[in-house]
Amino acid sequence: MSEMMRESLSALMDDEANELEIERVLSRIADDPELRQAWVRYNMVRAVASGQHPVRLDLDVSAQVRAALGGEGHRAAGLRQRWLRPLASMAVAASVAATVVLGGQQLAQLGTTGHDSQAIASSVSPVGMVNSLGATSVQASYGTQGVPVLQPATRTAYQELARQRLHKYMQAHAEEAALNSPSGLVPFARVPRIKE
Amino acid sequence: MTVKDSFRWRHLFVVPALAALTLTAARAGADACAAADADALAWLDKMSRSLQQVSYHGIVTFQRGDEMQAMQVSHSIEDGVANERLTELTGQGAEVVRVDHPLECVHPGNLLLQLGANLQAGECGVAQFYRFGVVDGQLVAGRRAVQIRIEPRDMYRYGYILELDRDTGLLLKSATIGRGNKVLESFQFASLSYSGEATPAEGAQVVHEARHSQPGNGVLSLGGAHPAWSVNWLPQGFTATDQPADVSMRRTFTDGLAVFSVFLEILSQGITPGEGVVRSGGTISYTRGMHMSGMPVLVTVIGEVPLNTARMVADSVAAVP
Repeated sequence: MSEMMRESLSALMDDEANELEIERVLSRIADDPELRQAWVRYNMVRAVASGQHPVRLDLDVSAQVRAALGGEGHRAAGLRQRWLRPLASMAVAASVAATVVLGGQQLAQLGTTGHDSQAIASSVSPVGMVNSLGATSVQASYGTQGVPVLQPATRTAYQELARQRLHKYMQAHAEEAALNSPSGLVPFARVPRIKE
Repeated sequence: MTVKDSFRWRHLFVVPALAALTLTAARAGADACAAADADALAWLDKMSRSLQQVSYHGIVTFQRGDEMQAMQVSHSIEDGVANERLTELTGQGAEVVRVDHPLECVHPGNLLLQLGANLQAGECGVAQFYRFGVVDGQLVAGRRAVQIRIEPRDMYRYGYILELDRDTGLLLKSATIGRGNKVLESFQFASLSYSGEATPAEGAQVVHEARHSQPGNGVLSLGGAHPAWSVNWLPQGFTATDQPADVSMRRTFTDGLAVFSVFLEILSQGITPGEGVVRSGGTISYTRGMHMSGMPVLVTVIGEVPLNTARMVADSVAAVP
């Protein structure tokens, strides 16, 4: 896998992929066995980690993802026309990222429900589609406990929670970082307000 | 044991998880260990030892985005113990001190970089997870430096450019590199001296004595009965920095270069599941509301790792049955 491709894949997993990067991954995933393997492997680790059944490595996720995205097949193309075209480009990018990631997440289930492409498409696509059609481009959550569709207020609240936790816990994190990384006490410089 | 005593931890402290890591490393075999990596690993080994064993003082700058901080640091060795001090010269002006840290007390993060004889035996340690390059560096704080370029082999960690003192191995400059070669944060010495005494900076309003973690020390344990919990997925090569009791609300992990911590809060009332992210330089704060064995909990991952890593780690938090 090229360095650029690894970066694009990484960006996709971090919700930081731009359109170009998403395009890059999608255009190559069908033809690049190494990329596909990497993709499946990353997701397999997750599936195993979250207590789902191990996934077969030879499962071809790309065709399913492409079908879900409308890359092929009449039904999928219809979906694409109906759902994707009217959206702003960044919203499309967000939905594609969510769909691809969640597509990977569904691997364990796919492994047990067979290869019916319609079932796969419907199990893969709704989250990405639903999220991107909301008022905001909502990030998907990839947990084992279902994927909440966040309302804008909830989303803002969670961002605020993350900000508050950064203040609350940064010093405790810095204590450990100072003992375990090569820069001495410097990790304390990251603490917003040092407490005695 | 008093709180004060707990700061002065005098025993060598090695986490058993390291043994598992060593086995993994041995299995990877010698071929994974390129010549450039071996050279870099020797430098990293020297760096992690000099961090403890060299006396120095100087001025350090720390930069995140447009924000620049300056601080005075000193590290002195006396009678087999190290005394350290960091005084902020900008912003809050707080001071952090660590006294009587025994030289033989080596923490997991540093042990991971000290391959020594294992390297001769073809063991590559962190080279399984990073690719290294070694080139001549420029002057940093008037010292000739060697530059170690560190690139992650997977997407679960950041890259680094480290500049070490050619003579002492001390880390003079460090930049954390994100995707697209973006510098997320960096620190470097502006001035450095290996002799003489540091002139103490004046007027620190807040003096914090750095903690020293140890097995069973649940720093953030809230008291009362809490469920045992564990983190069930880590990127390869990460190991626990300490051994808090299961009920401790914090877990911290390191691969020798990156560190992240996981915090758990049990909520008294239900929460709409979701996630939130805030970034500051190389640090991410990822908070996830979810249910653990039916209990509403908030899991927060804070550290110098990419979002995806934080998310996957948070996702793997579960109650220990």
